[in-house]
Amino acid sequence: MMLVDCLVDGVLASVAAVGFAAISRPTKRIAVMAGLLAAAGHMSRFLLLQASMGIASASLCAGLIISFCSMPIARRCHTPAEMFVFPALLPMIPGMFAYKAILATLQFLNTAGTPQGQTVLVSVVYNGLTAFFIMCALAIGAILPLLLFHREAPLGRTLHKLSQGGNAD
Amino acid sequence: MGLQNGQGGLNTLSALMADSTDAGEAKASVEKADAACVTGHNVLTAKELIEFIQIYASTLLAAGGQTSRVDRTACRIARAYGFEVELAIFPKHLMLSVIKPAEGGIPAERRTAVSSIVSGAPNFQRVAALNALSWSIADENLSLAKAREHFSAICAVPTLNPVLLRFLVACANAAFCGLFNGDAVAMGLVFCATFLGFYLRQKLLHWGLDLKVTFFLCSFAASLVASLGVLLHLGNTPQTGMAASVLFLIPGIPLINAMLDILDGHVLMGVSRLIQASTLIICIALGLATTMLLMGVDSL
Repeated sequence: MMLVDCLVDGVLASVAAVGFAAISRPTKRIAVMAGLLAAAGHMSRFLLLQASMGIASASLCAGLIISFCSMPIARRCHTPAEMFVFPALLPMIPGMFAYKAILATLQFLNTAGTPQGQTVLVSVVYNGLTAFFIMCALAIGAILPLLLFHREAPLGRTLHKLSQGGNAD
Repeated sequence: MGLQNGQGGLNTLSALMADSTDAGEAKASVEKADAACVTGHNVLTAKELIEFIQIYASTLLAAGGQTSRVDRTACRIARAYGFEVELAIFPKHLMLSVIKPAEGGIPAERRTAVSSIVSGAPNFQRVAALNALSWSIADENLSLAKAREHFSAICAVPTLNPVLLRFLVACANAAFCGLFNGDAVAMGLVFCATFLGFYLRQKLLHWGLDLKVTFFLCSFAASLVASLGVLLHLGNTPQTGMAASVLFLIPGIPLINAMLDILDGHVLMGVSRLIQASTLIICIALGLATTMLLMGVDSL
C-alpha cells in the first residue's frame, strides 16, 4: 500500500514538474530529465514525511537528492545543472503555505483583539515560517552539491583528478 | 540552426562540465585568443564587444539566469576575446566595463555602458543555449559576427504552442492537487479552473496588462471555478481543489533564483527578486480572498 502511494506520488510529481516547467520553455531533454528528478525527489520527501520527519528537513534531503542526481546528467548533456534542478524543485515550492500566510494575515486584521485573533496569528507565523524555511531548504539542497563538487572546489578537484587518473591508466 | 551548431560544438568538449569555470581553461583560451589576434583578425575593439556583452547579459538575466552565472559567462566571453569585464547588476539595470589589459597595469582601452534589463519570462531553453554559446566562444574562437548570428538564432526560438501549454499546465495543476490528497472530482475541477485561468493569463499578458493585475484576475477566475466544488459539495475534498486551483500562478523559478542569489552573496538581486515574487504571491492571495468573500467560503 505504502509502495503504491509512493509511486503515485512520484508520478503526480513528475507530471506537475513537467507541466509547470513547460511555462518556462524547456527543451525536450530538460523536460524529461526534470520529470524523472522530480519523481525521485518528491518520492523521497514523501517517504521521509511518512517517517515523521519535519517538512523543511525532508525538503532539504529531497533538494540534495535532486541536485546530486542532476550533476552526472548535466555533465553528459552539457547543460547547466540548474536547468534540471529548477523545474524538478517546482512541485515542492511552498506556494500553498505562502498564500495561506497572506490569507491568514488578512483574516487577522478582522479578528484582532478577539480571542480568535490569537489562533489566526499562530497560523500566520506557522505558514509564513514554514514557507520561508522550505524555500531556504530547497535552495541550500540545490546549491550545496554544486558548490562541493564544483571543479574548482577541493573535493571536486580531487574527484576530477581521480577520475582522470583512472582513465589514463 | 545556430543553436544546434553551438551545442554540437560543445559536445566535443567531453571532459568539460557545463557548469564550471575552469581557470586553466580560461587561461588557455586567452592564449588562444591572443594567438588569433596575432594571426590577423585583430579588429575587435572594446566598443564592439561591449555592445554584444551588454545585450547578452541583459537577455540572460531576463531569461532567469542566476546573477553569478551571468557574471561568469560574461567574463568567459570577454576573456576569449582577450578582454576583461566587470559587471555591476541591479534589479532593473546593469553596468559593465570592458577593459583591454596591457603591460604595466594601465589598461589600453576601457569602455563602460549602462543598460536596462527588459523584464521577461523565465526561459530554460534560452539560458541553456546562451551558456552553451559562451562555451563555444571560449573554446572554438568564434568570431564576434558569428557569435552575434548564434545569439539572434537563440533569441528567435519560438515559445511552445499556447494550446499545448494550456493543456500541460492544467494537467500539472490537477496532478498537484492530487499531491495534496485531493480526490478525482477535485482534480477534474482544478483541471478546468487551471485551463481557464491560464487561458486568461495568456490573453491578458498578450494584451499587455500589468503583471500584478493579471495575476489577481487569473487567481480570482481560477478559484471562482474551483469554488463551485465547495458550493455544490462535489466530491470529498472540494476545499483542497480550491486551495490548489491557484498554485499554477506561483512564480517558482524567481523564488528559487532569489534564494540562490542570496546564498551566492548577490543579496541585492536576491532580495529584489524575492520581493517581486512575493508581490505576485500577494496578488494571488488577494484574488483567492475575493473569491472566498464572494462565495462565502470561510476556510481552506
